[in-house]
Amino acid sequence: MYDTSEAKKIAEKRALDAADQEIIVKTIEDGVETAWDRLECQQPQCGFGQLGVCCNRCTMGPCRIEPFGKKPDRGVCGATADLIVARNMLDDLSTGAAAHSDHGREVLEVLLETAEGKSQGYQITDEEKLKSIAEEYGIKTEGRQKEAVAEDLARAMLEEYGTLKNSIQLVERAPEKTKQLWKDAGIYPRSVDREIVESMHRIHMGVGADYVNILLHAMRTSLSDGWGGSMMATEGSDILFGTPTPVTSWANLGTLSHDKVNVVLHGHNPVLSEMIVKAAEDPELIKYAEEMGAKGINLVGMCCTGNELLMRHGIPIAGNMLDQELAIATGSVEVMVIDYQCIFPSITHTAGCYHTKVISTSEKSKVQGATYKEFHPETGLDTAKEIVRAAIENYPNRNHGRVKIPSKPIQLMAGFSEEAIRKALGGTYKPLIDAIVAGSIKGVVGIVGCNNPKIRHDYGHITLAKELIKRDILVVETGCAAIASGKAGLLVPEAADLAGDGLKAVCNSLGIPPVLHMGSCVDCSRILVLAAHVADELGVGIGDLPLGGAAPEWYSQKAVSIGTYFVSSGVYTVLGIPPKIFGSPNVLKLLAVTLKDVVNASFAVEPDPVLAADLLEAEIERKRTALGI
Amino acid sequence: MKTVFVRPELCIGCRHCEVACAIEHAESKNLFDAIVEDPVSKPRIYVEPAINYLTFPNRCRHCDPAPCMQVCPTEALYRDVDTGTVAIDYAKCIGCSVCAMACPFGIIQFQNVFQTDNDREVNAKCDNCIERQKDGRIPACAEACKTGALEFGDANELIRVSRKDFSMRIIKSAGTDVEVPKIPENIAAFRNIMKKIAETREETA
Ligand code: SF4
Ligand code: SF4
Ligand code: SF4
Ligand code: SF4
Repeated sequence: MYDTSEAKKIAEKRALDAADQEIIVKTIEDGVETAWDRLECQQPQCGFGQLGVCCNRCTMGPCRIEPFGKKPDRGVCGATADLIVARNMLDDLSTGAAAHSDHGREVLEVLLETAEGKSQGYQITDEEKLKSIAEEYGIKTEGRQKEAVAEDLARAMLEEYGTLKNSIQLVERAPEKTKQLWKDAGIYPRSVDREIVESMHRIHMGVGADYVNILLHAMRTSLSDGWGGSMMATEGSDILFGTPTPVTSWANLGTLSHDKVNVVLHGHNPVLSEMIVKAAEDPELIKYAEEMGAKGINLVGMCCTGNELLMRHGIPIAGNMLDQELAIATGSVEVMVIDYQCIFPSITHTAGCYHTKVISTSEKSKVQGATYKEFHPETGLDTAKEIVRAAIENYPNRNHGRVKIPSKPIQLMAGFSEEAIRKALGGTYKPLIDAIVAGSIKGVVGIVGCNNPKIRHDYGHITLAKELIKRDILVVETGCAAIASGKAGLLVPEAADLAGDGLKAVCNSLGIPPVLHMGSCVDCSRILVLAAHVADELGVGIGDLPLGGAAPEWYSQKAVSIGTYFVSSGVYTVLGIPPKIFGSPNVLKLLAVTLKDVVNASFAVEPDPVLAADLLEAEIERKRTALGI
Repeated sequence: MKTVFVRPELCIGCRHCEVACAIEHAESKNLFDAIVEDPVSKPRIYVEPAINYLTFPNRCRHCDPAPCMQVCPTEALYRDVDTGTVAIDYAKCIGCSVCAMACPFGIIQFQNVFQTDNDREVNAKCDNCIERQKDGRIPACAEACKTGALEFGDANELIRVSRKDFSMRIIKSAGTDVEVPKIPENIAAFRNIMKKIAETREETA
């Protein structure tokens, strides 16, 4: 039983976006369980776990440390709160780094197969980028076929996952001063897989017992993600599918269609979804859709797979992490295609309440109740067509009486790759640097990361972004944060009206929004490259720049890695959700204070986005003062 | 008078007390067997979260006189004089739930218990772990709680500690030892953050 006005109140508490609220009310009316309901059921959540002082690593345990200063103050093996917290954090971080990097590996494998002529439907799209990266790797490009170059490059990058040479080429992109700090601290990353495997070794009982040493390795592992695996994922995808340039599109659940076959592409990897875009353009399939009573095929993205497609093709984006169940609850989705990461295991359960079919495409992330379509690059386009066909065939099963789609999608502009931003600035960062020196832009903050039902959906992202632009701080975004801004109308040039006078003038003269969508979560690497270029032009380290990072609504292990490579690279980072480290005052102090002496950046936790903006502004001012501007 | 005294400020919501209570009232009294028993044993203590994410382990206070006992028409509820426990004779319970209406703490719940062979729900309230106490052991919940949020002992002695702490805080006299542990800074910081998170959701909608 429900009461509509009560349901509306609940929806307002759960989400900021009006379109989302509308569908949350529908989930309550339809009796469909969502993450918010499950969070309520989980209360209270175990304090030992939240504080990070719960160790479940071996069978002498599980152990936990009493957080109020009494016994037990050590695990059976003797591990203290400091050690348990540090090991747990390294575990989370490595999981996140592995997720990004494994995604990168798959992209590179497709690049290799494409170069070898073995893949179906793929091609090398950005030859220029292929060349320039090949040159970074010392691969000869002069007078060579692009396929030959791509083959060498893919092999060279794949080799760095487990390299013997103990270095990753793309790490060299970091400014000299920043690299020197890493060398001095002993955290220079050596290879992609190695750091992750070594993490697993270090957190085994009886290996690393010095929490500082464990956290240093966490920094090194995160750097191998940000400047290694993630960056390879970005660059590999750009070579294969094209480097994004500014595009206009639409966001929110209103992008779903009343009369077309709706296919939602959800997850993180662009490899299959790119083929689905091609398949959906197939005239035969479009005709088939019409035969089945639909007016066409409507592809929409979700989460980072959605971001990848939005950035490169302007495919509309239906929403971010907490929208996945809501999209299905509109009753209008024929097929949700999932690859991996951030997909709720409950998604098939939600789909079971409607006619929606869930199609899983990765051997790594099979989901019970989903149809599994094994994906191979050799047959990529065929598989994509099969999926689109399945969606069309499911269209007649749509119960139009149970459909509710919010009416107004919001316009947005995306596609701001590092290259596109540089181009918008006229080929060099000088105009941006001049604006920063002149103070019309005080600094730049990257807002990244996920949603978390503990925070009102998108409230953290949007409030923080608005606060920052108001204070003349340019915002760059990736992942769910960027989608939130799209839904809230911050990704259009007109949003410059919400900015302070300085930033507003810069945005107006360049015709860009005050919040720039830089891509998916692995594309946080684009933010690093941008920072590296600016630092290089100024001859300083990244840690000297007036930059900040924020993850107001993060939930995932990947975010632990992203936050850590931001800080390790010199970017002060404010988190809206406390990481599981509060059980150790020493770890807290190290991450919030001591790190400043090592990399000139640290972490802070502040759930109130207005106060988070204060912290970021203060830190930007600190760096400005140090630079003498 | 012995009791389980609750210090809510030390409760971190791990619900280990709930698990321990359920195991204690299972036929097998062992975690791995208890989870597959039929009927499955359930806790008689409830860790409830408040809006600010702080928690309170709510458990039978074994009041004397006990409102539940006073209203029970079948005398299914009785007092075990040795332990001061308000105990229940499952066989006599008719499931009328007036005890639950009378209980000032709202902790009475009805469950199938292995002691009754027919499939009916009876008042399965906290029995103060009488059996354990008679063996010289402390109640399962208090034993399970690692933070000291549930402490078993002489009521006056336990209250004295809180009283002293409270008095000290009022007087703020320098140099006096405080027996009740102060909340460490890191935990206070964490709670402050969680409170803010809870408030943000409430206030911005
Ligand atoms: S590794 Fe140590 S602290 Fe962790 S469960 Fe085993 S004994 Fe306990
Ligand atoms: S075991 Fe103690 S800390 Fe855990 S929930 Fe119960 S009373 Fe609270
Ligand atoms: S429910 Fe059972 S214990 Fe409670 S008052 Fe009725 S008979 Fe007595
Ligand atoms: S005293 Fe025993 S029965 Fe009562 S709540 Fe504690 S464990 Fe459960």
